[in-house]
Amino acid sequence: MATADPALAASPPASPTPPAWDRYKLLTWLGSPLALIPLLALLAVALAIVSSGDLTLLLRGDFWSLTFNWNPLYPDQAAWAFPLYLLGTAITAGLALLFATLLSLALAISLTAYLPGWLGRSLATLTNLLAGIPSVVYGIWGYVVLAPYFGLTLQPTLRSYLAWLPFFGGPAAAAAPGTGVLLAVLILTVMIVPLTTAIIRDSLANVPSAVLEASLALGATQWETMRRVRLRVARRGVMGAVFLGFGRAVGESVAVAMVVGGQTQIPPSIYSGTTTVSAFLLYQQDSAFQYAALLHALVDFALVLLLITLFFNFLAQRATGERGAVGQTSAAGL
Amino acid sequence: MAAATPSNPASDLLGPADGRLRYRLWVDRVVRWGLPLTFLLVLVPLFDLLYWVSAKALPTFTWATISTNPVGFGGGLWAPITGTFLLITIATAISGGLGILAGMYTAEFAPPPVARLARLAGNLLAGVPAIVVGYFGYFLLVLYTHWGFTTLAGAITLSVFMLPYVYRVCDLSFSSVPRDQREAALAAGATPRQYLLRVAFPIAFPSVLTGVFLAMAIGLGETAPLVLTAGWSNSPSTGLLSTTSYLTGVVYQNYQFPDTLGHLVTLAFQAAFLLVVIVLVLNILVQVIAGRYRRRLQGLFS
Repeated sequence: MATADPALAASPPASPTPPAWDRYKLLTWLGSPLALIPLLALLAVALAIVSSGDLTLLLRGDFWSLTFNWNPLYPDQAAWAFPLYLLGTAITAGLALLFATLLSLALAISLTAYLPGWLGRSLATLTNLLAGIPSVVYGIWGYVVLAPYFGLTLQPTLRSYLAWLPFFGGPAAAAAPGTGVLLAVLILTVMIVPLTTAIIRDSLANVPSAVLEASLALGATQWETMRRVRLRVARRGVMGAVFLGFGRAVGESVAVAMVVGGQTQIPPSIYSGTTTVSAFLLYQQDSAFQYAALLHALVDFALVLLLITLFFNFLAQRATGERGAVGQTSAAGL
Repeated sequence: MAAATPSNPASDLLGPADGRLRYRLWVDRVVRWGLPLTFLLVLVPLFDLLYWVSAKALPTFTWATISTNPVGFGGGLWAPITGTFLLITIATAISGGLGILAGMYTAEFAPPPVARLARLAGNLLAGVPAIVVGYFGYFLLVLYTHWGFTTLAGAITLSVFMLPYVYRVCDLSFSSVPRDQREAALAAGATPRQYLLRVAFPIAFPSVLTGVFLAMAIGLGETAPLVLTAGWSNSPSTGLLSTTSYLTGVVYQNYQFPDTLGHLVTLAFQAAFLLVVIVLVLNILVQVIAGRYRRRLQGLFS
């Protein structure tokens, strides 16, 4: 389907092919650059980043230092504290992914097995609407509406009941009350859930019904069939959803930048602020336009970020196949 | 589900020795009713967000909000609205044109290895973070071209971000034209061009359209690529090579101002409200067209 059918394209030499088919064959090869437009765009992005940076910085100690020091007057003494940003990214994206995966497993299972068609369809549509809301809107909602509530009500409550847990009792080193890891994780979770739900749901729906019927016929309950058979058959889709969601969470800059606080620190508690690689790239862009040394460092940040997201998106495609639900298309119900 | 609930007549027949089975049926029932409740965890944030964005934006939303330019600590959204419209129009034209061509070619003509490579690239491009695309635009379109911060640089950067979505949906829609249609057309003597334009295109078109709308919705809501390329101006863009403002930028620049200082936060919420409305309309349009299209295809099969 995807290609020139060889049986059609290459007819026996005895009967001359109609001119339309000669042109067709020509087109299949001459048109190749058309298919490579996405590849060219990808290469252009990668090349622009690689060629504008200072790659040797990636190997230097000041890039990997654990303290941040940037004063435009003394660019020689700059230290970039990259591990701290990487840690901030890992904490926020990792926790958000954990919650999003659990939640979207529950949602996808409900949608495929437990909800009647009409209700499932409307709930799926509503969930997909979450995917369409711009990240900057999540950001302002988080900063203006949720952060005060988090700071004044939710966090004191959590602290009074759960202070005995690690990271639940520590100081709230936050830029503004309520901002920080907890809020960023919540916002990221809400942003990723529609994507992971759609992919897991697709892969659950694609499990052949014969397999399920066999399980039910052996006396397994609906839930046992879901847990032991259906999820197991669909596990590649679940893995794909996890990789893709992680890539999305790692790359999200605006919403995270608005609610994560922005401090360069290892957060002492979930009520404290931190910074992710993507958020740092956004925070610093303004001053980067003025200072070459800062810009070079940021380009290396961007390069590592690009490599991480490419890696996870590649894993996602390996898991779900090239036509698998990749990107936002599936969350839009396509 | 409703039919299954008075189920388990078996459990009434179970004897006292069947505790294990009773337990399994109990777990099944708990999951059946408990799991769908998790939807509350998604619906509460959705409606909370929609409520608060409306509540903060609407009380002071007047005609002046739309018709005047941002000034100082207040003003309206006219320049950002026109800026967003201009950016999205150009970006959709570029990414739509290139994405549809590339997708159609990948689905219909490309030799398998080429198609595989192209799809991989498309999927990877969809995963590139917006902020990285922004830096790409800054280096290539702001610095390298010596344009500086311009509408055109913003639009092209945005189109790179939107391209993979158009491309993927277009590839998918041409690939899912039923094989019989192709075989029937070719058997009836259609040339490849006739097949493509008269058979495949009409079938795939609605779905391609959803891809374009989806990409528009995604592009509309993006901030990071524009922050690094489009610059900022409080009056409407005077040309492709001048700076421009845009709705997402209004939100991003003003969200932190205290309420006491003019009404910048309100303005940010009003911009957010407009964005949400436009994006939701586009998304609903996508779902409606996709639903119609699916039904049409099913009609084709039966």
